[in-house]
Parts: sequence; structure tokens; C-alpha cells
Amino acid sequence: MSFATLSAAKMAQHRHRKRINVLALVLSLSAMAFGLFWLAWILFETLRLGLGGMALAVFTEMTPPPLASTGGLANAIFGSMLMVSLATALGTPIGVMAGVYLAEYGQTTWLGRVTQFISDILLSAPSIVIGLFVYSAVVAHLRSYSAFAGILALALIVIPVVIRTTENMLSLIPNALREAAYALGTPKWKVISSVTLKAARAGVITGILLALARIAGETAPLLFTALSNQFWSADLSGPMASLPVTIFKFAMSPYENWRDLAWAGVLIITMGVLALNILARVLFRNKY
Amino acid sequence: MSDKHLSTQFDAELSGISGRVLEMGGLVESQVVQAVYALTQFSAETATQVLHQEERVNRMEIEIDRDLSAIIARRQPTARDLRLLIAISKAIANLERVGDEAARIARTVQRLINAGVPSRLRLPVSDLSFEAELAIAQLRKALDAFARLDTAKALEVLKQDDQIDQEFDGLLRKLITYMMEDPRTISSSIDLVFVAKAIERVGDHAKNLAEAIIYVVKGTDVRHTSMENVENAIR
Amino acid sequence: MDTKVSGSISEKPKLTVRDLNFYYGSFHALKHIHLDIPERKVTAFIGPSGCGKSTLLRVFNRMFELYPDQRAEGSVTLDGEDILSKKLDVSLVRAKIGMVFQKPTPFPMSIYDNIAFGVRLFETLPRAEMDERVEWALKKAALWNEVKDKLNQNGSSLSGGQQQRLCIARGIAIKPEVLLLDEPCSALDPISTGKIEELIHELKVDYTVMIVTHNMQQAARCSDYTAYMYLGDLVEFGPTSELFMKPKKKDTEDYITGRFG
Repeated sequence: MSFATLSAAKMAQHRHRKRINVLALVLSLSAMAFGLFWLAWILFETLRLGLGGMALAVFTEMTPPPLASTGGLANAIFGSMLMVSLATALGTPIGVMAGVYLAEYGQTTWLGRVTQFISDILLSAPSIVIGLFVYSAVVAHLRSYSAFAGILALALIVIPVVIRTTENMLSLIPNALREAAYALGTPKWKVISSVTLKAARAGVITGILLALARIAGETAPLLFTALSNQFWSADLSGPMASLPVTIFKFAMSPYENWRDLAWAGVLIITMGVLALNILARVLFRNKY
Repeated sequence: MSDKHLSTQFDAELSGISGRVLEMGGLVESQVVQAVYALTQFSAETATQVLHQEERVNRMEIEIDRDLSAIIARRQPTARDLRLLIAISKAIANLERVGDEAARIARTVQRLINAGVPSRLRLPVSDLSFEAELAIAQLRKALDAFARLDTAKALEVLKQDDQIDQEFDGLLRKLITYMMEDPRTISSSIDLVFVAKAIERVGDHAKNLAEAIIYVVKGTDVRHTSMENVENAIR
Repeated sequence: MDTKVSGSISEKPKLTVRDLNFYYGSFHALKHIHLDIPERKVTAFIGPSGCGKSTLLRVFNRMFELYPDQRAEGSVTLDGEDILSKKLDVSLVRAKIGMVFQKPTPFPMSIYDNIAFGVRLFETLPRAEMDERVEWALKKAALWNEVKDKLNQNGSSLSGGQQQRLCIARGIAIKPEVLLLDEPCSALDPISTGKIEELIHELKVDYTVMIVTHNMQQAARCSDYTAYMYLGDLVEFGPTSELFMKPKKKDTEDYITGRFG
């Protein structure tokens, strides 16, 4: 039976379906183009305006006073790097261990359910709320803004993210692998550390990197905690400059040199976050 | 629990091959009947007919054996199915030899006719036909038992085998006295001894068939054992 | 149910099971199992899906204890010692009774470390001795020649059949006395399956082997004794050649000849 002899009704149906197919394709391509358009424009503007303000000085000189001819973002970059890495260092162990608990021990316990619930709430809490919380709990009591408070606030954002990703990655590990380890006579903690966690390693690290990327760009939690600092500072007990806050301050000002630096800062953050995301993706793809 | 396999194909193959065995059995049975008829009626025509069937019987043996191997290779049968197939292999070997015996009888008849035996009326051909009827009845009963896998009937066949042996002994003694009385009958008497032996062997093959049936149903190999062991196996 | 005839053997058994009942929650999965496992022989467990053969296997190394709603009642002894007793540490049981699962599960580490992992749990061996043990285990699992030059490569870089042999080597390395194989070949191609069946034949010289398989021909090929199970009951147990030529129970014959249904 050749294709040419299919009945007329079937052919009409077929053509109708083809038409719907084409329509759906066109619609989804347009939606994608629409989204990509804005993304491309943002990136383009960022590049254009950012590159305009870029110079070696950005990395070597401190934040300048308004209308100055020289100046850079060195202290802000340093401050951001310091606070972000310390916050990640603080939040990661807590997050990973809680994630391990949820995935391996607390599947049915009330403690596990409560932990999961609280973690989910924290995950979706607005970062400004977290900043204000740390302000009232730490800054107000100590009567000074400090980088330490900023680190605390950022860590409170890292923890739920790492909990979620660690738990998810561990749950993806098939039970068969755990059983194989148990069958050798391995005690539970060793099964988790040497087999399960190791198998989920790439995913967990990806989660940490994503948390890092997220807090790199957070402004609100730092506004009321680390505040900002015009000068270079490595003192955790005092205010410290950070890139997002500096951008915030400079971008809204009427001074041109400040606005140029703000754009340069935007470019730096965007490139940094982009690099981290790509790194996370590359790591993840190699494993699976 | 049904008696049918999950694979209807397998069921069809088994019943197909069993049917062919019974067909072969019917063929050799008629061969023996015709050979004995040729002997008692001294019919050269019937004797030739029997010899024509030879080729068909041999071909059947080869075909059934080939199908048997195919089933074993493809189905990996176990337990009862495997025993049935092993029994079928033995059965067709036995049936083919029954066919050979019938052919032997037919060739003897041809030889006797060509030699123009004048004193055939004095030879104990009727005794021979009695022995033959016993043997044919055994064969028929064994084939029936095979069709229904009836162990009771198979036991009967085993028990009655002695009768044929006794008949043969009697015939032998009679033929010896004939030969002593009239040396001119020696040649044809010896031919008749061979015929009687062939008939006795038909009975033996029927017995082998019966033993195979018991193997299929009960899983016990009752060859070369006492009748008491056989009865125990069937119980 | 004639339990006396069902599971007894003439030689001294390596493992004995007496009145074993197993429950998944309220579901009665194994019913009054009475069985002797002969030493240094291969015992196969066959039966339709859900008959309890894997469940029974997982009782022997107390794997069910990982899941809170599963419990076993009755006695299972290894050389006379009750292995279900709570007083006996489960790690010690698993050191003597090893298991290989259906799906090959190499650990996320090098081939060498995969084998050494189990050994390091119970023994501290100097490097040279550990090397020897790894080589011995891989040779026993008929894998040494294929991996001796790439011991540092990740375990998952091997093919399916090789991974399964790696898991077997891993299980043997700790020198257990009993090996439980839960459908070890179902995820493998015929050639890998053949290699592992050959391996089982060699393994039984040193170990008591129990294998669960849904492939009856494999049970017929590999085992010395076969147990047929149905809906949690042990229906028949006996030497393999007898069970496959002349089974004692009609239920057994119906199953092995494919008259089931």
C-alpha cells in the first residue's frame, strides 16, 4: 500500500496537524527571541557602558571622592571577595551537613521535616529581610556596622541554598550504591562520606558555586550590616566596602566619574557571576 | 494449573510430533499385517507393497528425529517434556526396526515363492500367523498406550511379552521336528525360523515402547528390571 | 506442608533456616521457610516474580535492617551461630556473607580503591599486601588481565560485564564464606553472562554460593541444588538434576516446563 493512496480524510487531518505544528513552532520561537532580545540588550549595554569605564586603575585605586579625576574600585572588589568567600566558608559546612542529615538520616523524623520547612522558608525570604534581621541582632547590639555582620547575613543566604542542592544531589544517588556499600559491612557514616557524598560530589560543589554566585551580587543584606567604606579595610569589625553597595551608591549619584565606575563594577560582577555559572555547568557535565 | 504450556506454539510442536510418531506407528503396523498376510497367502504382490513402504518409513524416522532436535534446541525442555522427547526418539528407532522386520518377512516370502516351495502346505504357517497376531496386538496396544500415555496398558504389554517368547520357542521346536522328518524342507524351514524370529522381535520393540511410556509418565527407567520394580514404579 | 522433606540435605549444612517468616509491614512475604544450604555448593532460587526469593536472599545478610518496616522472625544460623540475633553486629555478619546485586554498582573511585575499600574496613594491610590482595581478588573474578594496566582508572570506565565482575571481586576481597548473588546477570549480555557463570563454577570451590535467578536455564546450568519458591512458600528443594528431570511436586513441574498460568 503506497503512501499516495491514503484516504482524503486522512490527508486533510494530516495537513491540519502540520499547520498547528508550524504555528506552535513559530509562537515558541518568538517567545524565545523576545526573551533573548532583552538579555542580549542588557549584556550589550553592560559591555558598552562598562568597558567605557574600565581601566587598570579600576583594580588598583580606591574609591574616589565625587568629581575626582582618578580612582578605582580596589577596596570594593577586595571587600566583596573577602566577605563572599568567608560567608561561603561559613555557610557551606553547615549547609552540607544539614543536607546530609535531611537526605540520609532525617527522611521520616520530625526534626527532618522541620528543618526542611525552615530551610525552604529561608530560601525564599527576601534578602533585605535577612539584612534587617542581622542589623537588629548584631549591628544594633554592637553599635557598629561591621563586615562580620555582613558575612553573617550572606551566610544566612548561602545555607538554605546549599541545603537544598546537597539534599537533592544526595537523593539522586541510587539506593543500590548505598546497599552495595552496606553489603560489604560498611558503617553508616562511612557509607555517606566515602560513597554517597563522593558520588554526589560534583552536584554538591555545583550547588556551592551557585550559592557563591548568588551572594556575589547581593546588595540589600550588606546595606545595613557592612555598610560601606571609602578606604581600604581588612578589619572585620568595622564597615567594609563591597562592589554591589558601591555600585548602588555610585549609580544613583549625579557625578559622572562615579557613574562610570558604577558601570565598570556592574561589568565586573556580571563577568564574575557568568564565569562561576559556566564553571558550575562544566563541572556538572563532566560527571553525568 | 492447566496442562497447556504458556507457549501455544510449544504445545502445537509437541502434539505435532506425537501425531507423526503415531502415524509412523500406524504405517509400520500395517506393514507387519501385510507382511504376515503375504506369508500366509503366499502373495508376491503384497510382499512387494510392503517393501515399497520401507522408504517412507525410513524417511519418517529421519524427519521426526530432525524435528525432535529442533524442539530440544529451541525449547530447552525439562522434566516431563524432556522425557517425552527422549521417549519419542527411542520410539521411532524401535518403530523403524519393526518396519525392517516387516521388510525382512516380505523378502523371505518373495524368496519362498521364487523357490517354488511345493510342500508349503505342510509348513506350520498358521502357527506363525498366531504368533504374528499376538505381536501385532502388542504393537497396537503399545501405540494406543503411547497415544494416551497410559501406564496401565503399558504394563499389560510388558506382562504379555513372555507369551510371544513362548510361542517362538514352540514354533522353533516344531520346525526342528519338520526338518528332522524331511531334510528337503530344511531350507524353507530355516527361512520360517527367521520369520518367526522377526515376529518375536516386533514383540520386543512393542515392549520397548511400553518401557518408554512408563519413563515419560513416571520418570523411572524400568528397562532391565523385574516386573515387581515396574509395578512399584507405576503405583 | 511437608517442611521436613522440603529443605533438608544429607551433608552438614553451612546455613540453616528454621521457621523463617518475613514481613513487609503487615504483608507476610516469607512463610515458615525451612531450609539447609549445603557448604561449597551453588544453591539456586527460582520462582515467579514476587515469590520471595530476593527477599529470602536479603535476610541472609540482614539487608532488610536498612528499612524500618521490614522484619524477620525465626532463626537463620551460619555454622550454628544465629546471625539474626541483635547481639551480633551486622557488620560482622556482612564480613562473612557478601552480596552482589543485580545492577553493577562500582564505587566512585579507582578500580584499585574499589577492591581495597572493603578490605580497609576490617584489616590494615601494608601497601604491598594490599596490592597482592587486590590482584588476587581481580584474578579470582577473572578480571585481572583486563584491568591490570588501569587500576587507577575510575570504576565506571569499565563495561557492564566488567563492572559486575568488579563488584564480585570487591565482594570476594574481604574473604567471606558465603556469597549471595541477586540476579547477577540480568543486566548483562550473553557473553558477559557466560563469563560470570564460568566464574560461579570456580567460586564454589572456596565459597558457598547462593544465586537468585529468574532464568531457569541459568539455574539448571550453574547450580548444584535448586529451590523453587512460590508466593512466599518454599515449594521444593533438591539436587538440580533431579528437580529438572523429575520434580517431586506438580507445581514445580508446571513452573519449570512453562505450564504456569
